[in-house]
Amino acid sequence: MIGANWVVALAGAIFAVGAVGVMIRKNPLIMFMSAEMMWNAAALAFVAYARVYHAINGQVMAFLIIGTAAAEVGIGLAIIVAVYHRRHRLDIDELSSLRG
Amino acid sequence: MVGFVILAILAMAGAVGVIVARQPVHSALFLIGNIIALAVLYLTLSAEFLAAAQVIVYAGAIMVLFLFVVTLLTAGKDEREAAETLPGQRLIAGGASGLVGLALVVLAILNPGPAISLGLPKNFGTLRGMGAALWGPDFVYLVAVAIMLLTAAIGVLVLNRPERRAVRGARKASARQTRSREGQA
Repeated sequence: MIGANWVVALAGAIFAVGAVGVMIRKNPLIMFMSAEMMWNAAALAFVAYARVYHAINGQVMAFLIIGTAAAEVGIGLAIIVAVYHRRHRLDIDELSSLRG
Repeated sequence: MVGFVILAILAMAGAVGVIVARQPVHSALFLIGNIIALAVLYLTLSAEFLAAAQVIVYAGAIMVLFLFVVTLLTAGKDEREAAETLPGQRLIAGGASGLVGLALVVLAILNPGPAISLGLPKNFGTLRGMGAALWGPDFVYLVAVAIMLLTAAIGVLVLNRPERRAVRGARKASARQTRSREGQA
């Protein structure tokens, strides 16, 4: 068994890759997948700390993250599909204006 | 150790593949690889229930939904990314977030924390242990997840409701306008 800090470092690296993906891509689907990856990294850190401190609550938090991700994917993909029906382009910069 | 290195390489390869793939379908497949590597990592961290949930919920339900939407929206298209209005902004933002992530990794490695001790409590991470936590002290989180999923289902229905009623309403309004205009004339 290796130290938990390496697992947390892996979680940080995956989180960083997800953040870079959200920043540099323009396709909303890929940005959304990168955001999912960031959720996953947070869950990995929770599981690692649950293992270190022998606390099951960390795994409960990771369960909460999985549930949140399921809800978020439903809403987010619905928004992407609704926007696509109006604009017919997959580009995040299409949505640069708001109207109240 | 060797197992962790292999899993870390697989997870990072999947993660990098997601953000460099040109087609969203390839991104989704790379993300599935990343998720499965993380699920195996959960197994080594004695979180059996979460590993199963990760594969079933993430790699099963969520990624199928993703692939469905990707094929619905990008079928037979080759979308070029359009030119920037503000050149270089994305690269700068990406570089900045990469630096923040590098700082996270370095901090995690430099602070080892307490060593992982053996002798886990009974049922740690199994279905029985998670159930005892979720129906015991952490019941509020279970209820929160339930409310959140219900809200998400209703939200999806509201966001993608059929537009027929709106069209009919618009037509009725325009008819009313022409009628009132005729009445004025």
